[in-house]
Amino acid sequence: MNIIIAGAGKVGGTVAEHLSGEGHSVTILDKTDAVLERLSNQLDVMCLKGNCASRDLLLEAGARECDVLIAATASDEINLLCCHCAHNLGVPYTVARVRGTEYANDLDTLKRDLGVTMLINPELASAVEISRLLRFPSAANIDTFARGRVELISFHIQETDFLAGRSLASLSSKIQDLPILFCAVERGDDVFIPNGSTVLAREDRVYVAGTPNGVHQFFKLLGRQTHRIKDVFIIGGGRIAFYLLVQLERLGMSCKVVEKGDDRCRQLAEEFPHSLIIHGDGTDPELLEEERMAASDAFIALTDRDEDNLIISLYAHQAGVSKVVAKSNRQNYTSIAHSAGVESVVSPKLTTAGQILRMVRGLQNSKGSAMIALYRIAEGRAEAMEFVAAPTTQHLGVPLKDLKLKKGVLIAVIVRGAKVIIPEGSTTLESGDNVIVVARDSGILDLNDIYEGGGLRAGG
Amino acid sequence: MNFKLVLRITGFTLLIEAAAMLLPMGVALIYGESPIPFLSSILIILAAACVPVFLLKPKKDFFAREGFFTVGLIWVLFGAFGALPFWFSGQFGPYVDCFFETISGFTTTGATILTEIEGLPMGLLFWRSFTHWLGGMGVLVLTAALLPFLGISSNFLIRAESPGPVKSKLLPRASQSSKILYAIYLALTVLETLLLRIAGLNWYDAVTHAMSTAGTGGFSRMNSSVGAFGSPAVEIIITVFMLLFSVNFAVYFLILTGKAKQALKSDELRFFLIMVAVSTAAIAWNIRDIYNGVGECVRYAAFQVASIVSTTGFSSANYDLWPEFSKMLLVVLTLIGACAGSTGGGIKCSRILILIRSAAREVRSIIHPRAVSVVRLDGAPLPEATLHTTQCYFIINLFLVFGMAIVVGLDNFSFGTTLTAVITCISNVGPGLEMVGPAGNFAAFSVLSKLVLSFLMVLGRLEMFPILVLFSRSAWKRS
Repeated sequence: MNIIIAGAGKVGGTVAEHLSGEGHSVTILDKTDAVLERLSNQLDVMCLKGNCASRDLLLEAGARECDVLIAATASDEINLLCCHCAHNLGVPYTVARVRGTEYANDLDTLKRDLGVTMLINPELASAVEISRLLRFPSAANIDTFARGRVELISFHIQETDFLAGRSLASLSSKIQDLPILFCAVERGDDVFIPNGSTVLAREDRVYVAGTPNGVHQFFKLLGRQTHRIKDVFIIGGGRIAFYLLVQLERLGMSCKVVEKGDDRCRQLAEEFPHSLIIHGDGTDPELLEEERMAASDAFIALTDRDEDNLIISLYAHQAGVSKVVAKSNRQNYTSIAHSAGVESVVSPKLTTAGQILRMVRGLQNSKGSAMIALYRIAEGRAEAMEFVAAPTTQHLGVPLKDLKLKKGVLIAVIVRGAKVIIPEGSTTLESGDNVIVVARDSGILDLNDIYEGGGLRAGG
Repeated sequence: MNFKLVLRITGFTLLIEAAAMLLPMGVALIYGESPIPFLSSILIILAAACVPVFLLKPKKDFFAREGFFTVGLIWVLFGAFGALPFWFSGQFGPYVDCFFETISGFTTTGATILTEIEGLPMGLLFWRSFTHWLGGMGVLVLTAALLPFLGISSNFLIRAESPGPVKSKLLPRASQSSKILYAIYLALTVLETLLLRIAGLNWYDAVTHAMSTAGTGGFSRMNSSVGAFGSPAVEIIITVFMLLFSVNFAVYFLILTGKAKQALKSDELRFFLIMVAVSTAAIAWNIRDIYNGVGECVRYAAFQVASIVSTTGFSSANYDLWPEFSKMLLVVLTLIGACAGSTGGGIKCSRILILIRSAAREVRSIIHPRAVSVVRLDGAPLPEATLHTTQCYFIINLFLVFGMAIVVGLDNFSFGTTLTAVITCISNVGPGLEMVGPAGNFAAFSVLSKLVLSFLMVLGRLEMFPILVLFSRSAWKRS
């Protein structure tokens, strides 16, 4: 496909890297030479300099033949204008990044009026992710499929858990009957798909998929659902904090926000009557103690600096706050955070790039079985994908026990209409199903890619 | 200071006062009384007003200081000229008394120097109630509505005259807003007149009492005020309308434009209604031994509470004889007063709400010294400047009450009389306790006290600042 990316910042660069790696022809527009120079050295892409919203530049970049335009410059207005212009030039799919809180309520109107296919708000997406984590404090990460009908949750096995040291097949019928499935186990550097004989060990990170209620019940049985989060302590009052406060106030949690900027404090205080806004430096331990940080149920570090976020998260973790979430855009910090005990790390950059890539991949497969969601799990060593089975999908109606899947591939959940099915041997795939697949290696772009060879077991 | 323009606007406004006097003159003629007091007053006002109106060719510069200054000047002159018919009639005593009575009328206070009201000429008593009606909504608001070409649609003037801590315009153009306010005002007055007529009053009493209620003034033709009619229906109608006129008129505007939900969300309105309900219940309980049955207790309590809180000052019972608890509560309600943007006086409910909330914030800031929080009204954050002005307003109010109580104390009346006279005047209510209670009047005060109390009434009506500007030396400098 021909893809134009306007703005070569963090998100633009990441998306360009992936898309060009997947074999698309990518043209990058930006107004600064240095960035373009660096990218054209690193990637096999075309770079053009100029104002991204200018019609001439878009024409020069080949907007007439372009399939997808992604606008991710620093300015919301330029992104929107760029998409609008591209839409008028006949680009069928346009994606704009809009992060301004002022536009938060206008997204649908903007989309319709300006002809933008998709609006992406990284800060909003991150806030949604964090609020989901707070609703489900025992989970380190949560991804959702089929419009929230299915959740994929990861958590660490602790020594005290009854799961430790037992094979999955030997678990009590109470757990067996829950609408959940163990999808993947991360042990050390290894990731594998568990089966009945898998024995879970302490320090394993386990991925479980199922209905939100099923997962909830599972955590209850596990004894992890002991407390609901009520008091949230947030450091940094930026955009993510803004969107997060909107959601947390709605959930009835009481929030404390520490923010450095004087005017920003006032803005937040005006916007959020039920939250306590504190003017001060969130990295100052004295302030944190004065405001009784250790007594809060959750601690979220959202300052501009990844390093600060990680350090104060560690501090909060040591102080005994049970749920700690850090924002970090640098991927290599994530594993450091994990090893130090901070399990939940949120990256707006990756979330956004992920959203854009998902859409582009979906477009690519729109002829076959469309991929509508993709999450990288286990630090990128496995993927969880959601497909819609099409009439062209092979082996529809064949019981799963007769199918031969590639090694390291698992059909985790099937959503048929409003029904969520945890597959058994007799389950079949039907056209129109939403199928959630967990695969150890990437490279599955179509539902048909999951079958090994002819896809049928010998004699099946 | 652009004196020429100030004088010209003042001149035009006085012309309106002259025109307004035609109405009581007509009433005097109907009742076969002499129109001479009115006629001579009108001629004097015309002579005084025509000089600045026709001779001055002012520059257009008009700023906040001119606005405040003009309002202050106009209100003092309105009292001075409006007193002429009373003075010429010779039945209201010396000029100071006439001036006090007129200021009390225009500021919708309703404090009187008359000991015997019944039997005075109908035309003069009509003028007395009519000053309430004119002063209630504001004479400049009226001028702005009638004479938009003057350019006093300049927001400064309206802002100076309309009460409340947060000024908001209903419509983009000030003269349009003024017209709508007066239309609502007029419609409610007419409605009350009709209801009172149906309830059995004659046309004259219905109109004068409706006008006194509308301006939340409180002048009545009867010596013992509304109580004289002895009619529960009349009392209930007046109770309801006193409360209606003490609600922010923007609420009616919102209801008329189909935004009733937004109107009912108003913090101030809720505070006001709760305050009225609780006070009524408390007083009804407190006076249970004086009257027979719950109905009668509630009827008297509700009327008095509505009258005081709306700063009207009618009475249907001599509450000076009630228990101390009820009297204290009524004095506190006198200070608090009605809602902002109404015709009522007092400190205003919204200011009290803001003060309570900023006090709560101060207490919170001890627990969280570095917390940033805002004070809200109707969910909207208030600028810090508004909080300062409100606190300042409250303090000036207290200083004036106690400072002027010392001056009035020279007359050597009792503590209760002195203090409640001052409070009732600055809040534009009318009656206080003891000698100035519902059965009493202000006749016995010295000339000095009468002038001080008149001054307090104007201060209260214009919410301090326009009058205090007159005392600032820099306001008098020519520009």
